Amino acid sequence: MPVKLDARSLGLAALVVVGLLVPFVVQDTYVRHLFIMAFIYAVVASSWDLSLGYAGIFNFGHVAFFGIGVYATGLTAKLLGLDPWLAMMFGGVAASAAAVLVALPVVRLQGVYVVLVTFAFSQLVLQVVISQSAVTGGTQGLIRVPTIELFGYNFLRDFKFGYYYVAFGMMVVAVACLRWLARSDFGLSIMAMRDNEDYAASRGIPIALQRLKVLVFSAFFAGLAGGFFVVYLRVASPEVFSFSTTSLILSMVLVGGTSTIYGPVIAALVLTFVSEGLANFEGLAEGRFILVAVAMIVVLVFLPKGLASALPKRWGQRAAE
Amino acid sequence: MSEAALALDIRDLRAGYDSYDVLHGMSLHVANGERIGLFGPNGHGKTTLLNAISKVIRPNGGSVSFMGEPIAAVSARGIVERGLIHVPQANRLFPDMEIMETLELAAFTRRARAERKTNLDYVLKLFPRLAERRRQQCKTLSGGERQMLSIGVGLMCAPRMLMLDEPTLGLSPKLKEELAAAIAGIGTRGMPMLIVEQDIAFVLSLVDRMYFVDHGEIAREIHRGSDVDHQEIMDMYFGERAAS
Amino acid sequence: MTLDALSTVLVSGIVLASVYALIASGLSLVWTTLGIFNFAHGALMTLAAYLAWTVSDAAGLGLWLGAGIAIAVAGVVAAGVLIERLIVRPFYDHRDILLITVMTTLAAMIFIEKGSQLIWGARLKQLRPVVPGQVNFLGTTISAQEALIIALAPLLLGLLFLFLRNSRIGRGIRAVGQNPNAAKLIGIDVSRLFIITFALSAALAGLTGILLGSVRMVTPAFGAEPLVKALIIVIFGGLGSLGGTIVAAYLLGLLEAFLIFFIGIYWAPSMIFVLLILILLVRPQGLLGKVVR
Repeated sequence: MPVKLDARSLGLAALVVVGLLVPFVVQDTYVRHLFIMAFIYAVVASSWDLSLGYAGIFNFGHVAFFGIGVYATGLTAKLLGLDPWLAMMFGGVAASAAAVLVALPVVRLQGVYVVLVTFAFSQLVLQVVISQSAVTGGTQGLIRVPTIELFGYNFLRDFKFGYYYVAFGMMVVAVACLRWLARSDFGLSIMAMRDNEDYAASRGIPIALQRLKVLVFSAFFAGLAGGFFVVYLRVASPEVFSFSTTSLILSMVLVGGTSTIYGPVIAALVLTFVSEGLANFEGLAEGRFILVAVAMIVVLVFLPKGLASALPKRWGQRAAE
Repeated sequence: MSEAALALDIRDLRAGYDSYDVLHGMSLHVANGERIGLFGPNGHGKTTLLNAISKVIRPNGGSVSFMGEPIAAVSARGIVERGLIHVPQANRLFPDMEIMETLELAAFTRRARAERKTNLDYVLKLFPRLAERRRQQCKTLSGGERQMLSIGVGLMCAPRMLMLDEPTLGLSPKLKEELAAAIAGIGTRGMPMLIVEQDIAFVLSLVDRMYFVDHGEIAREIHRGSDVDHQEIMDMYFGERAAS
Repeated sequence: MTLDALSTVLVSGIVLASVYALIASGLSLVWTTLGIFNFAHGALMTLAAYLAWTVSDAAGLGLWLGAGIAIAVAGVVAAGVLIERLIVRPFYDHRDILLITVMTTLAAMIFIEKGSQLIWGARLKQLRPVVPGQVNFLGTTISAQEALIIALAPLLLGLLFLFLRNSRIGRGIRAVGQNPNAAKLIGIDVSRLFIITFALSAALAGLTGILLGSVRMVTPAFGAEPLVKALIIVIFGGLGSLGGTIVAAYLLGLLEAFLIFFIGIYWAPSMIFVLLILILLVRPQGLLGKVVR
C-alpha cells in the first residue's frame, strides 16, 4: 500500500516524533513510568477493540489473555531461564494459544453465552494461577522475574530511558498492525459479520474461522503487552485477572470509543495519568477504580460512541473513521 | 360518564419508526357502536396506526380522542384502562403460560378485574375450544387457537372498543368463517370496532364502513351499500396497472 | 469412600447448593424478565452483609440482629432499584442492551466493591449467626446457621415460585419476560414491573449475603465468587427458566463438593470450568436448556 502524504499521515508521524522526544523533555522516573504503563494499557485496550468493537464478539476474557501473557512470560523467563525478549514473544504466542481454546466454544455461541463463557474462562485461568501456588506464587504473586537487557545495557539505568522506548515501540507497532488489520479485507469482513451475520454468511464469509482469527490476533497483542508488563515490573499478581483490571481496560475502550483503535490508545494515556495520579493521594488508591466505574457509566449513558463523539464533528468523524 | 357520539376520533395523526414517518397526518373516526374496516396494501401504515393509538409506539403529532377524551398523551396502560383495546397482529402471547392463566392475567387493570367473571364466561362461550384446552401452553396452540385466545385476551381487558389487526391472517377458510361469526357476535353487543384486514370479502361482511389506507393517508372512504364493486377495490389495491 | 465421608461431602454439597440456588435464582429472575445480566448481583450480597454488620455488630451500632437484617435488605433493594433506574433503563430500546448492561452493571459492581473497601476497609468481618449452636444433619455436625441456610433456601424459592405462578404481579412479571409488547397491550406497566423484578432479585441477593456472612468472612470481594458460580449455573441451567436454574444450582453444589473431596480444593474450581466448556461444546444451549432468544 503506498503511503499517502496527506495531513492525516503527517499528523500521525508528528505524534510519533513527539512520542520519541518525550524522554528528552521528561526526566522524571515516575512520569516516565506512567507513560510506560499507559503504553502497555494502550496495547491491551486497542487489541480488545479489534474483537469487541470491530468484530462485535462479546469477549470479556481479553484481560485474561493479558494475564496469560504476564504469567507465560514470567514463568518461562524465571523458571526455564528463557531470554526475556523471547519470553515476551512467548507470552503473545501463549495468549494466542489460549484464544484458540476459548474460540472452540465461542465461535459456535451467541450473545449472552459468549459473555458468560469468556467471563468463566478468565475465572478459570485465575483459579489455576491461584491453585498452583508452588509454581505461580499463588495469591502472593510471582516475584523476581528477570528483565531485559540489550548488549549488556540494563534498561533500569538512565531513569527508565530504555524501557520507555521499548514500550513506545511496542505500542506503535501494535497499533499500526491493528489499524492495518482493521482496514484490510479481513477487517471489512469482520465488520460485515458484526453488522449483519446472516448477510455476511450468505456472502461466503466463514464466520467461525474469522472469529477464531480475530481472537487469536487480538490475544497475541494482549499477551505481548502482558509479557512486557512482567519483565518491566518484574512482579506479577493474580490481580491482573480481576474484575477491577477488566473494568479499567474496558473503560479505556469505551471512553476512547469502540471500532477506532486510536480512541482506546488516547483514552489509555489519559486514564492512566488520571487514575495513577489519584493513587498518590492517601485513601484514593481504591477511589480511582470508583472513578473509572463512574466514567464508564457516564460514557455509556451519554456518549455511547466514546468521548470522540463529543468532539467537533470533523474531529469526531476522523476519530471514528 | 357522558356518552360521546364518536368512540374514536383521530385527526392528522403522524407516527413512525426511528426518524421517518409512516403515517403522514391520518384522520378518521369511529362512531359509537360502529364497525369500521381498514384495508390497503401492506406497509402503508395500518398496523402503525393501531400501534400509535395503543402507544406501542409514540405518535409524532396530531390528536386522538376516545369517547370524547383526548388520549394522545396517555400511556399504554392508561389506554387499556380506558377500555380501548388493541389485539395485535400474529400475537405470540405468552409462550409458557397456560390458556386459563393467560385469560385471567389479561384482566389486569382494576376495571377489568371487576368484570373478570362475566368476561371469562363470555370468552369461553364464544370460543369453546379455549375451554377445552384450558391447561395448554400458548406456544403449543395452533394458529387458529392462538388467534381465538388473542381476541379472548382482548375481551378480558373489558374493552369499550376493540381494534383487531388482521384477525384471520394465515387461517383456513373454515376457521375464518368461525372467527367471522365470533367477531360479528361481539359486534352485535354494540361494541365499536376497528378491523384491519386484507381479506376484502371477510371485512365487507363485518363492517359498516371502510377506509382505504395508502401511503400513510386515508385515500378513500367507502360506505356499505354504496356502489363500489369488487373490481374497483382491486384497482385501489393494485393501482392503475390492474385496472388497465 | 466411607459412609461418614459420604455424608460429610453430601451435607457440605447441600449447603453450597442452597447458597448457589438463592443467588442464581435472583440473577435468573432478572435475566428471564429483562433479558439482561446483572453483574452487580454479587456485589449486592456484599453490600447487604456489610450493612447488617454495621447495624448489628458491637463494633458498629450494636443493635438487634433483626434490625440489621431489615435495614440491610431495605438498603440493597434501594440499590437494586437504583441500578435499574440509572444504568439499565436508559438502554431498554437499544439494540445492544445486553452488551451495554453487562458493562454498566460491571461498573456498578466495581463501584460497590471499591466503595465497600473505602467505607469498611479490607479487614475481614463476620456477622453474628442468626441461630447459634450446632446441629446434626445426616450424621454430620454442622453449624445451626448452615442448617438454617439448607432449610431457608427451598422455603424462599418456593415462595418465589408461588408468587410468580399465582399472584397478579408475579404473573405480570412472567408475562413481561415472555412478551413485553403483548403485556403492554393488556395494561401492564412494564417499567414498573421491571423495578419490582430488580427489587425482588436484590432482596434475594441481600438475604443470601446476610446468611452467608456468618459462615464465611465478609470482604469487599465477598460476592465475586458466588456471582461467578451463579453465572455458570445459569449457563448449566440453559438460561430458559427459573426452574432450570434451581435444578442446576443443586447439581453444581453437589458436584463441587464431590470434586473437592476427590481432587482437592485447588483443582475443583478449574474442573468445573473445564466441564462447563465441554458441555457447551456438545450442547450450546446448556445442560438443561432449550434454545432461547
